[in-house]
Amino acid sequence: MQNKNEITLETLESVLVMNIQGDITSFSEPYLNAAYQQATEQGSEKLLLNVEEGAYINSGGIAVLIQILAKTKKNNQIIGITGLSDHFKKIFNMVGITKFARIHDSVAAAVSTMNG
Amino acid sequence: MSQNQTDSNVTITLANQIGYERIAMACSASFAEMFDFPKDRIEDLKTVVAEAAINAMQHGNKGREHAKVVVSLSCQTDTITVRIADEGNGLKGKPPRPDIDKIIDEEQAICGFGLFLIEQLADRVAFKEAAGKGHVVEMALKMKA
Repeated sequence: MQNKNEITLETLESVLVMNIQGDITSFSEPYLNAAYQQATEQGSEKLLLNVEEGAYINSGGIAVLIQILAKTKKNNQIIGITGLSDHFKKIFNMVGITKFARIHDSVAAAVSTMNG
Repeated sequence: MSQNQTDSNVTITLANQIGYERIAMACSASFAEMFDFPKDRIEDLKTVVAEAAINAMQHGNKGREHAKVVVSLSCQTDTITVRIADEGNGLKGKPPRPDIDKIIDEEQAICGFGLFLIEQLADRVAFKEAAGKGHVVEMALKMKA
């Protein structure tokens, strides 16, 4: 049972990529918030959440992600998500996350699109 | 965890601890594979089982350490039925359907996503009183959505 995330930040061109290792649940809140805070303090205007392949995401994790989306809207940041399975692409579309964050097929595709 | 399997029925008993829903997810996925459910429906099944189990632990059993969540799976023709029982009193009114625009603008609280996903992914959902004491969520998923 994994209740913590390791999140590394890297900048690819002008996109700040948050590489999220581990499942995304309510336990992820402090880790994602800290990473977002760090990214924002660096002045990042384009953020990409890179979810680990096969990660489990539940409704608690969705709530945490929506909190991040709300912050990006307030801070006029562009946000994308990548690494999602087809199932979670469907789930994110169902709950409306795709209205606020574009889902990309890969980090490279996301960086290209977000810089386009 | 205890497990019994007879005549296409499986029942597992989970400790009331967040994280243990993953045991029910894995068990339900294995069960669905035995009946040749397609991968996308197995993913749907895993999500509804996880969300219903989490709701049972948090809202039904109110986080009580010694409470139990009982997950039962059965399959008939092309449909898997999952029953998730807790020791609570059931829903006292459904939460509002989550509206992400309102949530983002802080006009609605972030809640109700678990139930929302269950209702979106399952073909049938019913909330019932358990025989004796407690509450059951019964969900049916067909092989093809």
